[in-house]
Amino acid sequence: MVKVYGDGVKALQGINVSIKKGELYTLLGPNGAGKTTFQRIISTQLMPTSGKAYVLGYDVVSEASEVHGHISIVPQDVATYGIYTPWEYAYYFARLRGVPKQKAKKTAEKALRAVGLWELRNRTCATLSGGEKRRAIIASALSSFADVLLLDEPTSGLDAIARRNVWSVLRQMVKEGKTILLTTHNMEEAEMVSDRLAIINKGQMIAEGSPDAVKGLIAEKYRVVLEGEITRFPARENEKDTMIGDRYIMYVENENEAADLMKKALKMGLRAHISPVTLEDVFVKLAGGFDNESS
Amino acid sequence: MKAVENALLIAWMKFYPDFRRQPYVIITQAGISAGPLFFILLSGSTAALHNGIVGAMISIVSFLGLTSAIHDVAQDRYVKLREMMVAMPVHPVSYALGVALAPLLASVPGLFCFMALAIWLRILSLASIGLVFVALILGWLSISMIGFTVSTYLTKVPPFMLNSAGHLLSLGLVFVPPVYYSESVLGAFSWISYVFPTSNAASLIRGYLGLSTLHFESIMSHWLTLIGTALAFSFLASFKARWRER
Repeated sequence: MVKVYGDGVKALQGINVSIKKGELYTLLGPNGAGKTTFQRIISTQLMPTSGKAYVLGYDVVSEASEVHGHISIVPQDVATYGIYTPWEYAYYFARLRGVPKQKAKKTAEKALRAVGLWELRNRTCATLSGGEKRRAIIASALSSFADVLLLDEPTSGLDAIARRNVWSVLRQMVKEGKTILLTTHNMEEAEMVSDRLAIINKGQMIAEGSPDAVKGLIAEKYRVVLEGEITRFPARENEKDTMIGDRYIMYVENENEAADLMKKALKMGLRAHISPVTLEDVFVKLAGGFDNESS
Repeated sequence: MKAVENALLIAWMKFYPDFRRQPYVIITQAGISAGPLFFILLSGSTAALHNGIVGAMISIVSFLGLTSAIHDVAQDRYVKLREMMVAMPVHPVSYALGVALAPLLASVPGLFCFMALAIWLRILSLASIGLVFVALILGWLSISMIGFTVSTYLTKVPPFMLNSAGHLLSLGLVFVPPVYYSESVLGAFSWISYVFPTSNAASLIRGYLGLSTLHFESIMSHWLTLIGTALAFSFLASFKARWRER
């Protein structure tokens, strides 16, 4: 898939993705990586410059109307219409997707119960919290019986508890057989909910696999974080090590090496702790590293 | 059939929650169209008042149809209903009709008030009410489709400019042409009444209400122009409107 915008910006430079039925696949990348462009092409909102994309075998360009019958979307940065209620979101969207009246009432109820908004169904969105509003939008996507859900940063701006509620709903949907394409720049989210993920940067895919497989793409398995007078600690000749303000983060391949560094730091009176590398560490390494100079 | 059902559903979605939770919008909307009548009333001319009532009837249906499409684009920056519908089994014309029908529903109480006033002043008879309705609907359809088509080209324009665009289009298509006043005022430029869907509808309605004398040729020309523009702009909305982004 290639997308070049009118102003010459190359948003996608040959992304090749295959998503299995019934899995939650995440596109992970920084702002401007091309995630939303990819989602918008798959959801038929945007035409690709070249390349082909299929949803359940239907071409998103030439068979868009067939695609529409199988997808539901949550766009990026979507706000709720303040005078709508969660019920109206769930019910009207089901009706527009062709669900008959009585069935639409049942699916709207099911969707609202799934996102935990049934009790609040008749309150206007203007009176709901940020997390509840976002869940109302997700309910509109769930109420349709669509096989494929395309969710563009659905938890953006939510607090940790609201985010986890949404994650729980997404995993439940996967359990019920839905296929979900999620975009996010939240590494924890990608790690927690994805069956597989792809890291994209500057319109190109730089890694793909299960969260564990992607974490295995770099040799380092642990990180040692030092805090305190870190200038006293002799800098290592390792370009992957990172300085973030008054913290020195070192990446090592095994536990013994990590333990040695920790002992050395503790002897020097520094605070130190060891943890396994995170998806974010892998992402930073694969995406070209962190700019130590500017930090 | 599905397209019509979707248009009605979108109209209901856009009308009912608004109407139920902020019913005063109906009074505001009628007030905008009734505004010029106040100044006409001050002039003391009965003929001008009669023409003004015709203008208010046309204005309330077409002004709202036009601005609602533009307002919809501005609002969609945040609520993205249109964006979500592009990815749904909804035809752009269903959406355009729905967006246009919603304010039409909201304009019904105001329209009935203006019609009742016209009946009370004995300028509107039950015999001509059918043709008046048809002219109003064709004018509304043309203007709404113009609004929708234009709005689809304004998706990247900042919201404050969108509102200005809506106001300018309203001035140019509803308030400045011979809608609230007779085209005879324009003298040699009275042909302008054939240019705008609103003024075509106004000329016909004035003719049926006996406020002006229209020859058979003029009546046919106005009807043909009105039907032609309604079809042309519906066609344009259907085929030229930018629904999917390129």
